[in-house]
Amino acid sequence: MKKFTLFKMLSILVLASFILAACGSTATEAPVVTEAPAATEAPATEASTADVSLRWRTRPDNQEEINVYSTISGELDAQLDGITLTYEPGGTEGSNYQDQLRAEIAAGTAPDVFWIPGTDVADFATRGLILNVSDLAAGTEGFDVNAFYPGPMYHLTYNPETSETGATSGALWGLPRDVSTFVLYLNLDLINEAGAPDPRELAAAGEWDWDAFLDVAQKTRALGSDVYGYGASAWWGPYGVWLNAAGGGFFSADRTACALNTPESLQGLDFQRSLYQDYDVATPYGEDPEPPFRAGKVAMFQNGRWATPGVRTVGFNWDVVELPQGPTGQMGNWLFWGAYVINANTEHPQEAWQLVQALTTAQVQGEVAALGANIPSRVSQEAFDAFLTFTPPVNNQAFLNGLADNPATEGPLWAGSWPEYDKVMGPAIQSVLTGGQTIDEFGVTICDEANKVFNP
Amino acid sequence: MHASLNTDSKNNLILRLATIWRWIFMLFAVCGTAILWMPVSPVDVFWQKVLFTIVLAVFAILSGLAATFIPRRDHRGRTISLLLDYLAFVAAFVFTLNVGQVFIGIDSLGEKFGAGLLFLGVTLVGYLIGTLGKVATRFLLSEKTLQIISRFTMLAGLVLFLWRVDAVTGLVSLIGRLTRPAGLLALSSVVIFGLAFWIMWREPSAVAMGAKTHHEQVINGWLFLSPNLLGFLIFFAGPLLLSLYFSFTDSDAFNPPNWVGLDNYAKILNIRIVPLNSPDQLAREVIDIKVYDEVGRLIIGKFGLLFAAADKYFWLALRNTLIFALIAVPLSVIPALVLANVLNSKIPGMKFFRAVYFMPSIAAIVGISLVWQWLYNATIGYINYFITVSINFWNNVFNTALVDPKIQWVSDEKTALLAIIIIAAWQTVGFNTVLFLAGLQNIPGELYEAATVDGAGAWNKFWRITVPMLAPSTFYVITTTTIQSMQVFEQVFILMNPPEGPNNSTITLVLYLYRSGFQNFKQGYASAIAWVLFIVIFGLTLLQFQRQRRSNIYEN
Repeated sequence: MKKFTLFKMLSILVLASFILAACGSTATEAPVVTEAPAATEAPATEASTADVSLRWRTRPDNQEEINVYSTISGELDAQLDGITLTYEPGGTEGSNYQDQLRAEIAAGTAPDVFWIPGTDVADFATRGLILNVSDLAAGTEGFDVNAFYPGPMYHLTYNPETSETGATSGALWGLPRDVSTFVLYLNLDLINEAGAPDPRELAAAGEWDWDAFLDVAQKTRALGSDVYGYGASAWWGPYGVWLNAAGGGFFSADRTACALNTPESLQGLDFQRSLYQDYDVATPYGEDPEPPFRAGKVAMFQNGRWATPGVRTVGFNWDVVELPQGPTGQMGNWLFWGAYVINANTEHPQEAWQLVQALTTAQVQGEVAALGANIPSRVSQEAFDAFLTFTPPVNNQAFLNGLADNPATEGPLWAGSWPEYDKVMGPAIQSVLTGGQTIDEFGVTICDEANKVFNP
Repeated sequence: MHASLNTDSKNNLILRLATIWRWIFMLFAVCGTAILWMPVSPVDVFWQKVLFTIVLAVFAILSGLAATFIPRRDHRGRTISLLLDYLAFVAAFVFTLNVGQVFIGIDSLGEKFGAGLLFLGVTLVGYLIGTLGKVATRFLLSEKTLQIISRFTMLAGLVLFLWRVDAVTGLVSLIGRLTRPAGLLALSSVVIFGLAFWIMWREPSAVAMGAKTHHEQVINGWLFLSPNLLGFLIFFAGPLLLSLYFSFTDSDAFNPPNWVGLDNYAKILNIRIVPLNSPDQLAREVIDIKVYDEVGRLIIGKFGLLFAAADKYFWLALRNTLIFALIAVPLSVIPALVLANVLNSKIPGMKFFRAVYFMPSIAAIVGISLVWQWLYNATIGYINYFITVSINFWNNVFNTALVDPKIQWVSDEKTALLAIIIIAAWQTVGFNTVLFLAGLQNIPGELYEAATVDGAGAWNKFWRITVPMLAPSTFYVITTTTIQSMQVFEQVFILMNPPEGPNNSTITLVLYLYRSGFQNFKQGYASAIAWVLFIVIFGLTLLQFQRQRRSNIYEN
């Protein structure tokens, strides 16, 4: 009897969880387009006599982005005659979007069209995982590679067989989904409290350089032992800007050798090291700076446009400013990008190419950019004007200034392996920034190892 | 008599058909092997061709042997027939499921399951109505009426659930696929192999083939074992052997691999140990930096030894993994032993504490790691907050000037691995405690009573009775915890950014093989690392077994 009652109680518990789960799934399910596989496949199969079914995927950062891409998928499904679309939101960056994608490609179950970061293009292209659509593009009326930012198109039109790039190179690996660049997200309340000058005004006056940046960082740091002047995440993007701004960089000009040990690169890295080790103005390197920034403990938080939706929910006054100018007079910013590419094993390359074009029209990019997470990859005044209206932040111009300051383009290594290079560079730089080794030790040894990842 | 003769001739006919079937089976296997090596072969990859050739050749030989045994009424013919037809039946069945896209359908069902959960709940409501029993009379309903309502509610819930998850559409799709040529071929294969199996399985055939009781027992045993055995062979042993093959290739997982022999292993094991003239002598002065990287140096006074390797990351990973195991295992075992002894008492509420200590073991590692990530945060984490508060308190009370260390748990190369060890130990202690608790329950109470009579104290009882009697449990706990520690991955992968940690201080062997195989396109090399790791773990486990045998504590 006791067991029977227990079973009844368990049943009620399970029932309650069913109801909760059902309610939960309804709440999140509505905006997601899921006309997918087998159980629902009969209609699709019947429709396949008329329609081509395409699956596409991109890496969203949050549910809002998933909703936007789902809506776009629905709209394009209605627009593209003869094509039925299924949008599959991929995992986020933290859940290893690329690892899952690679496994699916190996298993032959990857979508027809998918997004990859700019750094992965060479690896995917040279291994034959993505389709070269230059022939399809050549036969497409009105298509122009120059409609997009030249930096990403340099790599997307790079022909590894001839080392040529550009519209006539005979290679086109995809089209850029969007672009982004770094700014400093400012906690204006902290800066005011510290009596530090407003970085936006300094930038407008052309006085926003490393010294001015350090001054603001030190003044805000003085507010308390738990308040920091600056915070940045631990990956190649944030530390790369200091090297770039000093006139250095990761690679030689032709991207065939390590340049981490040049005096300029070391100067940039040394300045960043001083922020952590000498002046102690930065959140500890390797610790996620976003939680303390959101908690109102960091005055200047270096991040890209993708951080904007999250920052919009903080409870203090904030805005953005471009990165400070380095010794070269430039910010050393990056032009981040990723591209929609076509699975080399797709059964419908023509339709997939149609989809890639549709996903990169000004209108679709505007819809995504309106969310605030990124910047359209098409170079047009119309796109700029629209982007400036997507506030907050008020100072959206800072992003466009970053893009206009000749940023270094995020890019793959056609002459080597980017993941291998990153594997060598990242821990070594982290060691410098956390005091594990000196700049001199780093400079003497880093390229011995890093140069091994380039093709002989 | 006449009926018996009829049955015999029918049986003989069936066994003659079975013999013919075996020859046909062999012929198909031989033809299949030949097709594999023709241009029309559906298999392109060399290793797959070899593998299928071996399997088909074995099938052909066995089928041929069975074909000669059956006419002689040798029971081996029946055993081989059952084995071959059973395996072929399972393969045909899986093939049919694949042709019908049932696996994709299950995926789809999984996606839509949430939408139908509410209706599955209706089914449960129906069941609960049926359990009301005599309570029903309070609502002026007879028990019978209640049962009818219950059944209809359950049925309605089930129908609505199937409708909501599009099961009917899926079923129609399945039937559609199975009525196409490929589907029909797959279905016929299932029927043919099933029939062939049944023909030899039936009792008259068994009797005719001279089956004895032990024959039946063996066959039944293998049949019961087969689901697990097939799963083991296909999903564990198969991939294991495949990874061994890949370890001798340059596979990138996407393109046909090239055979590179022992190159991968040679690169892993290519090391140099060279003396240094001075502690700060540059590595490039004593090693060929185009081949080797410095892994570390041992400094003795003014001199030192440089350890360099062609793949420094492997050796760094091995070092970190061994350090991890060396510290994490005692930290997971000794507290568990103490805790188990405490929790073994009969104090009220002890069951609650047992559950509490076990909780970390059943919680998802990803969730735990994320929680610890926040705790470890050097700026707003609770651990540093409590350290700061404690130091301030101490300084204020005792008028001292202790300095707050502001430990950068995960971003300092001196503490990063320790941070991972703490999480791993914390998570494993609960599980080990339960294992020790089970061991403690098996120690006869008389031993403690006798010891008490002899005047032994608590410590003596623990040291001279508990510890020796727990030896088998301790051996099991240490062995499994060591293996687990050598495979540390999730905590590092989630907690650290980048996972290798500052100056590669948290790179571990499994992390390194994962990064090599899945991120750096080096599946062949990653497989070689996996096999080296296997050998290391195997060696350590063997050592533990030998120590256990030598100690013989339990027997004494």
